[in-house]
Amino acid sequence: MKERPDAPQRPVSRRGPPPPGPQRPFRFPEFERRRLANGLAVYAAPVGHLPLVELELLLPGGAEHDPPERAGLATLTAALLNDGSREHTALELAAAAERLGGSLDSQADWDAASIGSGLLAEHLESGLGLLAEVATRPAFPARELERRRQRRLAELLRQRAQPQSLATAALTRALYAPTVYGNTLDGRAAGLRAITRDEVEVFAGRHLTPAGGALLAVGAFEPERLFGLAADHLGDWRARPASPSPDVSAPEVVRPDIVPPEHAGPRIELVNQPRAVQTELRVGLPTVSRRHPDWVALHVLNCVLGGKFTSRLNLSLRERLGVTYGAHSSLAARLGPGPLVIATAVATDAVGAAVGEAVTELGRLRSRKVGDDELEEAHSYLIGAFPYPLQRLGGVLHRLAELALYGLPDDYFRSHAERLRAVDGEALRAVAGRYLDPRRIAVVAVGPASRLAPQLEAFGEVSIRSPKEVIE
Amino acid sequence: MPLASTGAGGASASGLAGAPAGRPAAPALPIESHALPNGLRVVLQPDRRQPLVAINLWYHVGSRNEVPGRTGLAHLFEHMLFQGSQHVGTNDHFRYLQQVGGVANGSTWFDRTNYFETLPSHHLDLGLWLESDRMGYLLPALDHDKLETQRQVVLNERRQRIDNQPYGRAFERLHELLYPPGHPYSWPVIGYEPDIAGATLDEVVEFFRTHYVPANAVLTLAGDFEPRQALGRVEHYFGEVAAGTAPQAPRQRPVWPSAERREVLPDRVELARVYLGFTVPAVGDRRCDAAELLAIVLGDGRSSPLYRDLVHDRELAQEVWAAVLPMEIQSTFLLVATARPGVEPDRLEEALRGHLATASRGELAADELERARNRMVAAHLGALQSLDRRADLLSRATTFFDDPERLNRELERYLGLGAGEPAAVATDFLRPDRGVVVHVVPAVGGGRTAG
Repeated sequence: MKERPDAPQRPVSRRGPPPPGPQRPFRFPEFERRRLANGLAVYAAPVGHLPLVELELLLPGGAEHDPPERAGLATLTAALLNDGSREHTALELAAAAERLGGSLDSQADWDAASIGSGLLAEHLESGLGLLAEVATRPAFPARELERRRQRRLAELLRQRAQPQSLATAALTRALYAPTVYGNTLDGRAAGLRAITRDEVEVFAGRHLTPAGGALLAVGAFEPERLFGLAADHLGDWRARPASPSPDVSAPEVVRPDIVPPEHAGPRIELVNQPRAVQTELRVGLPTVSRRHPDWVALHVLNCVLGGKFTSRLNLSLRERLGVTYGAHSSLAARLGPGPLVIATAVATDAVGAAVGEAVTELGRLRSRKVGDDELEEAHSYLIGAFPYPLQRLGGVLHRLAELALYGLPDDYFRSHAERLRAVDGEALRAVAGRYLDPRRIAVVAVGPASRLAPQLEAFGEVSIRSPKEVIE
Repeated sequence: MPLASTGAGGASASGLAGAPAGRPAAPALPIESHALPNGLRVVLQPDRRQPLVAINLWYHVGSRNEVPGRTGLAHLFEHMLFQGSQHVGTNDHFRYLQQVGGVANGSTWFDRTNYFETLPSHHLDLGLWLESDRMGYLLPALDHDKLETQRQVVLNERRQRIDNQPYGRAFERLHELLYPPGHPYSWPVIGYEPDIAGATLDEVVEFFRTHYVPANAVLTLAGDFEPRQALGRVEHYFGEVAAGTAPQAPRQRPVWPSAERREVLPDRVELARVYLGFTVPAVGDRRCDAAELLAIVLGDGRSSPLYRDLVHDRELAQEVWAAVLPMEIQSTFLLVATARPGVEPDRLEEALRGHLATASRGELAADELERARNRMVAAHLGALQSLDRRADLLSRATTFFDDPERLNRELERYLGLGAGEPAAVATDFLRPDRGVVVHVVPAVGGGRTAG
């Protein structure tokens, strides 16, 4: 350890935060986008100084396409892509990926199915070949379907004891039933038991198609090589025509069929866990598609409400009232109208106060314009923290996925800061007025119903459910 | 933050499929070390690619420095540190950081407490000011109100993460059984509720005076700065913090179990779960490295023996994993499996033991070793992607070994392990008569969810 020679002693002024130095600009990583003949978009971002690559193949087979009575079909189909191709068994696929030090995983969420692979850069061709094999030549072996089905059913059972899972399932149902968003991604036991191999194949054939899909690649490679390999391994993949694309002439409403039902007033769902020692609490509202012009303003609103440690909800519930380890809110980004959700775990006797606080804050945002200081803090946080996840290849992938899924222009993130700053106090009050309608609120509390009901009756109509009803 | 069971940095790629012998798999990081006159060690890792800087501070104090009856003090104290200091108002720590887009947190572990923030690089001074102020000027800002607030927050945290979580108490119980009463690893980092409830302001102040001194700390900066300038700023803010005396490390020798200990833990769960816990040598010991390699070989990935056998082929387990918690006195080795409905925990336990027995018997097959090595390389490189993880690994290498350069040799160490070393660890340490078994089972009457 070197020791420095004596530096001149001078008293340090500690009053107030020191001023910043000259700012070095941040630029979103460079990337190029092309389209293969079969409609598959390819985004290539040659970034990172480590010999790593991350790939993601996004296909339009999200859970939004789950048929009625078949909730869980999309995620099950996506998971089965891992479990065998025409050439290789599940084990052989896993071994091939893991031998290279990499990973290969298929899954789905609401908007898309995704096959992801992380690998050492020197194995790019093998890795992409494996990804393509899994996507284009899945076998859906019957034995593997049975395995996955049983594991899913056991997972639902496990979740019945898990307060966070119960809260999510109850909230989505309260906000969105009977639309497809009223289910969970994992589905329900009855539907899972009924899914047949034919249904899986039909779903894959209809939705896991290159048209409407995108291959995202981030890491240490030459773009030309990447585009060449993509064409080699995925260019000849022609599936049956995809179901009709979203109506892009009406960009605000991408999924016109997902309309959350109207209600006369707030609903309170209690999921009874008599011996819980704390209460898992959610307050949620449906909002708009990621593509809707109001989404960005809602994103800023969410930051003020509960999107950072110094947000209104966290400061009041954690630091002032001391009733929780943390409270936060999140705004979903989805093709359809996703939810804004306030989430926290609170001392059971404080649930009434916590819900009151949340409802009051929502009301305050409607009635009072957010002040300049608070607005500036939200802007600065969102803009300043933007580069943080982009240190990792996965973080860059995530942003490219946003462009691909929501049809955002390639230069979208170059104007990130300006777009956020354009959301002023008036814009915030306008979206608060438009969307934070108390009648659309659903409150979910997972805990001892006998102690929760008296605290929450004042807020709306209370229903009490058992865990088995909520996750069945 | 404990290092995951993989991870290291290094130069040699010998044995890696496809890589020419001798070609580095990971770039050597440029690292500078310094020490201030007051004893603060400073590590600098310049990287000018992105306009971000990660500040990371390790204090060499954790739950191991507590005493039974007053557990949880280190963690409670970590919370107190975010509530301002003499020149920083009560809620201003996070406010200042978040105002500029900083991402910050801290964590407490058995052997250490860390505090970290990543900021846009032109705000380096802000981070240094905040960290130095709470190192050198905390006491005037500590009061009963703040203690009460954080006490409640921590009690809520305990309930949320442990008491109200299915299987939440299992790990805590496992450590109570694995390490004897009075052993610093026998109690949970977050502490027990009565101890958290009973902590006094005097105890908190004493804790600070004893452990939060520059000589007991390592400051690492990774990211966008010019090293000489950055060192100057560090000296500016930290130089005047009074030296204090580094406390003695608690005297505790490793204790090796001599008999099996078993427990059945009823809980509000639907699926049973089996925990096998063992203790292996301390971080830095080659056998700890071998244990980490073994954990990867056994349970990392869908082609690993544990997953293939228990989850896929025999469908006994819903999920299974193996992990090592490397610690300074001695380390913990865990095997955990969640049972499928209808599978008895004993049967699951037997299956897990079968894999340990196989592991003890001989050398790893070449392809198993290859797979594990490649996974380690990928995991290590993955960890190096972000500045804050890099900075944390450097603080770790410096705190535990006084050698930040060790990070650049990490991969070399793991890749240099022989095919027989994991088996030796299994034979010597992962023995039925030297471990702890906890079966978490659905509580009768209260555990089943209401139909």
